[in-house]
Amino acid sequence: MSNATAVIVERPRDGAVFVALLRLYLAKAGVQIPLIVSVQVLLAVGMIVGFGFLIPDIATDEATFLTTGVPTTLLLMVGLVFVPQEIVKRRTDGTMTYLRSLPVPRWMLLMGDLLVWLVVALPGVAIAIAVGSLYFDLSLSISWGLLIGVSFVIALMATAVGYAMAVSLPASQVVLAAQVLVFVILLFSPIAFPADRLPGWFQSVHDWLPFRPAADLMRASLTEGSDFQVDQLLVLAVWAVVGLALSLAALARKK
Amino acid sequence: MRLTTQHPAIVVDDIHRSFGKVKANNGISLSVEPGQVVGLLGHNGAGKTTLVSQIVGLLKPDSGRIHVAGVDAVADPARARRQVSVQSQSQAPVEGLTPRGAIEISAKLRGGRSEYVEQAVEALADELEIRPWLDRRALPEGAGLSGGIRRLTSFAMSVVAPTPVLVLDEPTNDVDAHRRRLLWSAVRRRADEGAGVLLVTHNVAEIDQIVDKLVILEKGTVIAQGTIDELRGPSDLVRLTYSGGDVDGKKPFLVEKVHHSAGRTALTLRMEQLEAATTWAIAQRAAGRLESFSVSPMTLEDVYLDLTANKDTGAKGLANV
Repeated sequence: MSNATAVIVERPRDGAVFVALLRLYLAKAGVQIPLIVSVQVLLAVGMIVGFGFLIPDIATDEATFLTTGVPTTLLLMVGLVFVPQEIVKRRTDGTMTYLRSLPVPRWMLLMGDLLVWLVVALPGVAIAIAVGSLYFDLSLSISWGLLIGVSFVIALMATAVGYAMAVSLPASQVVLAAQVLVFVILLFSPIAFPADRLPGWFQSVHDWLPFRPAADLMRASLTEGSDFQVDQLLVLAVWAVVGLALSLAALARKK
Repeated sequence: MRLTTQHPAIVVDDIHRSFGKVKANNGISLSVEPGQVVGLLGHNGAGKTTLVSQIVGLLKPDSGRIHVAGVDAVADPARARRQVSVQSQSQAPVEGLTPRGAIEISAKLRGGRSEYVEQAVEALADELEIRPWLDRRALPEGAGLSGGIRRLTSFAMSVVAPTPVLVLDEPTNDVDAHRRRLLWSAVRRRADEGAGVLLVTHNVAEIDQIVDKLVILEKGTVIAQGTIDELRGPSDLVRLTYSGGDVDGKKPFLVEKVHHSAGRTALTLRMEQLEAATTWAIAQRAAGRLESFSVSPMTLEDVYLDLTANKDTGAKGLANV
């Protein structure tokens, strides 16, 4: 052992450390990935077929609206519901303590997680589009560049906010908050239905929450009728930055 | 290459840390030199884990100074973390990985190079005798690998990349008797190679062969510290232990101390009282008043129990009883 000691370097290369961290994260998430992908498929089918039951003889416009809302719902669900639940599990089983005791920069701990969760979340977009197009026999006009960019921004924002929630709140409240968010995303956000069906005051609340801007941007990348709006991107960017800052602060903070 | 530096491995100086009204650490000072294994003992809630969390920079002291290998752990925790490797009381995150994978990743997270890492994993597999499980995957909810193998893996993860300071919090939980011995030897070996080791454990009976010094905590303060011999006090103390029977009351010999636990009574005596004591015990046993008895030298566990049962003996150990 002793001659090998010299091989440990005082300041390791960030790249090699990051790869090792990703291996650790992927191994831990790996057990969950098939499950999370199945849940995404079920959710997509549930929303598209289930909302179809609520609205009999659904018209093409409504079917398109519904279908183009589902990718956003899935991305938000992974970031705001699955991520906090996974991170809080890490807090309670000691994994977080182990990670924080490592000589790994705090930003790297966060970056690794963001990357892994983006990989888990992004297939949801394809799943949702496929299920909706097949069930309603739609042909969407997809702007691929925009779709990829928007999906990335929404997933990043949701993961950052979910992560911030999971590391800032007491563990018991994280699980509760994640469960409440399921209802907020599915039923109280104008993602799969138009915003004008909500009362006026609630519409203005949604100007500042990330849900409607995310849905509108996603829809703009999947249909020709709706426009890409920069102020909506700005709302998402602000949420993402706040989420990242809170996460990083919580990882670096000593209690 | 030895890891020795001119700095002490750990210096903890008058650390205070409270949680609300509870003073978890109330003025703790201790030091660990390179090459030393220092045992940190104490009952549940004595403040051991709080102290460890501060040494590895996860918790901030209310006041006091902590240095690891010469680095101020309070002011510069990021640099301190490169000097300290810790095996925490909770299981390390091996889920989804094989022990080989987990140990390799740990080494690489600390900057180990591939060619070194492979060789180090093999060496640890032999040292801890975990080779049969080396490529078996740990599954969620305790499946795949037993608790003991997970604990040994987590020990291997903390030592695979040598650091000047090693902090082990209950490293032997769930580990079988044979591998506990291997693990204790492995701990001793790390110190002999130059690391300063702080060893937190309840397993008092097993560590007297490997520790250089003991620190005993109670209610957030150090109630005794020193080498085992210093804590043990005069070497002519022996222990007579007996169980059963109704023999309380005056004995025909001088007793230094009495300790009762679970139907057993342990008497601490000076060597010159031993003849009278054994004569007495043989007679009591013949008369059927006690079931069995034994005579033994003072063990580390005896010392520990005496100290924690009689705090007023203070930091001087048993020397003054």
